[in-house]
Amino acid sequence: MEPAPRGSPPAHGATVRSRYFLRQVAQAILTVAFIVLVNFVLFRMMPGSPERILLGRNPNVSAEALQQTKERWGLDKPLIPDQFVSYVVATVQGDLGFSFVYRGKPVTQVLAERVGPTLLLFGLGELIAIFVGLAIGAYSGWRRGGPVDYVGNGISLILYSMPYFLIGMGLLVIFATALGWFPTYGMVTPGATYDSVGEHAADILAHLALPLATVAIGLIGQYSILMRASVIETMNDDYITTARAKGLTGGRILRHHALPNAMLPAVTLIAVNLGYVVAGAITAEKVFNWPGLGTLTVEALEARDFPVLQGVFLLLSISVVAANLVADLIYGVLDPRVRT
Amino acid sequence: MRAPVSRRFVRLLAALGLAGALLLPALAAPARAADEKLVLRAGTDQKIKSLNPYAAVVVAEYEAFTLNYDLLVNFGENNEPVPGFAASWTQSADGNTWTFKIQPGLKWSDGKAATSEDARWTYQTMLDAVAKEVTLVSGYLDGYLPAAGVTSVTAPDPETLVVTTEFPSTLVLYVYAPILPKHVWEKVPFDDIASGAYTNPPPVVGTGPYQAVETKEGNFTRFMKNPNWRGSALGADEVILTTFASSDTMVQALRNGEIDYARGIAPDQFNSLKGQPNIVAVEGASNGYTELAFNCYSRNGGVIEGGGASTKALQDPAFRDALGYAIDKEELVAKTLAGYGEPGSTIVPPFHARWHVPPASPRTFDIEKAKSLLDAAGYKLDAGGKRLDKEGKPITLRLTWPDSEAENGTDAQFIAAWFEPLGIKVDASVTEEGQLIDQLLPPEGEGKAQFDMFIWGWVGDPDPNSLLKFFLAAEIGVSSDSFYENPKYDELYDAQRKESDEAKRRELLTQMQELIYVEAPYHVLYYDSQLDAYRTDRFTNWKNQPAANGTPLFGQGSFGYWGLGAVAVPTPTPAATAAPAPSGEPTPAPSSSGGSGTGGGDSTPLLVGILVAVLVVAGIVLALVFRRRQAGGEEE
Repeated sequence: MEPAPRGSPPAHGATVRSRYFLRQVAQAILTVAFIVLVNFVLFRMMPGSPERILLGRNPNVSAEALQQTKERWGLDKPLIPDQFVSYVVATVQGDLGFSFVYRGKPVTQVLAERVGPTLLLFGLGELIAIFVGLAIGAYSGWRRGGPVDYVGNGISLILYSMPYFLIGMGLLVIFATALGWFPTYGMVTPGATYDSVGEHAADILAHLALPLATVAIGLIGQYSILMRASVIETMNDDYITTARAKGLTGGRILRHHALPNAMLPAVTLIAVNLGYVVAGAITAEKVFNWPGLGTLTVEALEARDFPVLQGVFLLLSISVVAANLVADLIYGVLDPRVRT
Repeated sequence: MRAPVSRRFVRLLAALGLAGALLLPALAAPARAADEKLVLRAGTDQKIKSLNPYAAVVVAEYEAFTLNYDLLVNFGENNEPVPGFAASWTQSADGNTWTFKIQPGLKWSDGKAATSEDARWTYQTMLDAVAKEVTLVSGYLDGYLPAAGVTSVTAPDPETLVVTTEFPSTLVLYVYAPILPKHVWEKVPFDDIASGAYTNPPPVVGTGPYQAVETKEGNFTRFMKNPNWRGSALGADEVILTTFASSDTMVQALRNGEIDYARGIAPDQFNSLKGQPNIVAVEGASNGYTELAFNCYSRNGGVIEGGGASTKALQDPAFRDALGYAIDKEELVAKTLAGYGEPGSTIVPPFHARWHVPPASPRTFDIEKAKSLLDAAGYKLDAGGKRLDKEGKPITLRLTWPDSEAENGTDAQFIAAWFEPLGIKVDASVTEEGQLIDQLLPPEGEGKAQFDMFIWGWVGDPDPNSLLKFFLAAEIGVSSDSFYENPKYDELYDAQRKESDEAKRRELLTQMQELIYVEAPYHVLYYDSQLDAYRTDRFTNWKNQPAANGTPLFGQGSFGYWGLGAVAVPTPTPAATAAPAPSGEPTPAPSSSGGSGTGGGDSTPLLVGILVAVLVVAGIVLALVFRRRQAGGEEE
């Protein structure tokens, strides 16, 4: 695919681009609003009364106690419009309510404590997987049939199909228990006191090593496979043959002609996946006791902790929609064919 | 033109080496800060969601408040009453007045004097809640004073507490509620205490052996030794209760020496830990059981609109009794529990050595006997081999269990297979726990009792009274999930709770256990054992509670922590942090946010910093690798 024709008048291009941009943003906002509405209704449709669960599944509660609990947590008002309206009004003001499970704790605080660890583990894991995966995939596609292709791709396929639990426990048993190089669980050593920020950072990094390896290893596969296929397909295009005919070196063709075009599908995948980083990885978090959003979501589901669930899904939907928006825009920049 | 590729590769290696060199010191530094203090680290799969004792639901939360606080009367090595907040007590001649003497010179962990007024205030708050019909958070502690018949409390002088009851009852000594510091709690509005909005944030003030100084809800809670502890010297300086999402990880952490105690291990892990150096795997008898429960609802003929049992046969004790001969409890213990448990019998577990009485004629596993009993009771087979109820309908029973108890699924499979030769079809399926709670409610609890049979379990208190309530007529719509009704049983229950003569009470409990066994609203399947493990290379003198068949920690009260001793004092390394000395006044470390240099604190800015740092390093590496491509516009 040739670069964009240079003859197009800049003014026209700019208007088209900004209209495209605005349209995408508007769509994104509407999507988030719709998701928020659906989430609100969906959670409350789950069978099982939260007021009983709030009372700790205590079989000895009386009808009065249940009614009190309902009133306390605003569960006795009609779903629509009362509960919904108060939810929307509060959310827009940034008040996500109080967690049912961690009583008295604002949802924003519950989430804030878990977002950081999730971003650190899953975000870094994705980034590592992206770089390593794309590199392996590109080289495998470029030298298809070569040793890197067979070995690299084979291994990454195997690892991709292994669940986090298996990878994680394996690393744990080898590196934490047998060799003792890394701690077994958690994000920090519980109750440790630090003399400096550096020590605190070192503690976190030591705890981060194994879970990060687990997540990265588990994710490399999807990028390497995609990139490999994309590069192979691109290599068959006519303009590559033209470039070869002109006498360009293999490396130059790869970097300047094949890769930019082969990257397009990868860009979309990367953007979408980065949007889901906030969702966390439940099994990886469970194995290493990593205090992330994944396990929080599961616990909140079991406990019918509506405020936390609404908060988590609000965060997640904004993140995913925003990532998709960015992907669309970047794609629009990279590939002018979609802009019109 | 192969040179550029290899040159770039070399450059990449060099860049990575540089990055590695930068990060290496961070990784090489020992992850654990060497402590001069001895920390007891215990792991459990339960979460401590709040330090407000009234919010306690799970054993870990009970453990937390018995570390923080004293009960008025504590529990000793065999769960017998021992001095707690009160040093001694006497009962009046008519049995309705108890006089407690508070421990002399008792101090709260913040140095203030602890007196009978604190105990009076605490009990009065609980009595007020009952009077106002307000539930204190999750309501698990509310029932202890009413169960003992307590009507009033007074504190005639700072060393004396007088408790008045409406009938003589020894349950006064088994009130599992902590004594709270009035000077801290009276400042909190009653509504906040009752709703749980007041989470009792650290640093906690109590008279127990350890007080919480830091908590990350759902993650870990850290307790420091009470500087004013009234008992003998405590071996551990600190206690940390950590929540593990995966018990496999918890076991690895125990093997690694990263925790000293692990509660709740699966049987296969338990087996692998036996005989490991420095590890003791302990099997404790459980104060509870798992049961197969029937929908015995008989009001309005057992008819519930839109729900109810699928057959009237379930209301017939003879039917339920016959089914009991088709359950092989030994097999369930062997297969579901891998042998770690006891086959079930009566509703008072053998854990209660003084009160458990085996049934007069225990059932055996005998399918033929079950068939003949069913025939004799009037449930015949039809031509197709299906068992018919007295209305002529083939009997199909729904069986369910909560998703939180995966092992019950194994039990269900066995039961379905055993009932099949009887001509009874069993539809077994799991139900999500939150949904199941609602499904089991009868019309008295605003539900439709949509079930025939289910498998679930109960956990008891130091006194068996709480386990007896589930079969009272008055509890239908509250805690009764079998809806069993028998006026004789109700009579016996009332009599036993007012009986303070142990022999007489045991006689009453014998009759009650026998009645329930014979009429079988529940078939108690087994008493599952508690599987824990602990290390012996840092702490010694672990004592089981009860001595014969308990576990050292997570028992009743804080008994297990009192006698622990240190094996060896860890030698401080040069890199040891200058941890604040635990002796002297309590140094309340800040809890969640703020606080530089002490404790984990709020790590979000730090995490962001690490993320940025790693990205920057990665960016440098990449830039080094690819930077030389700018020059040279080759024709293309």
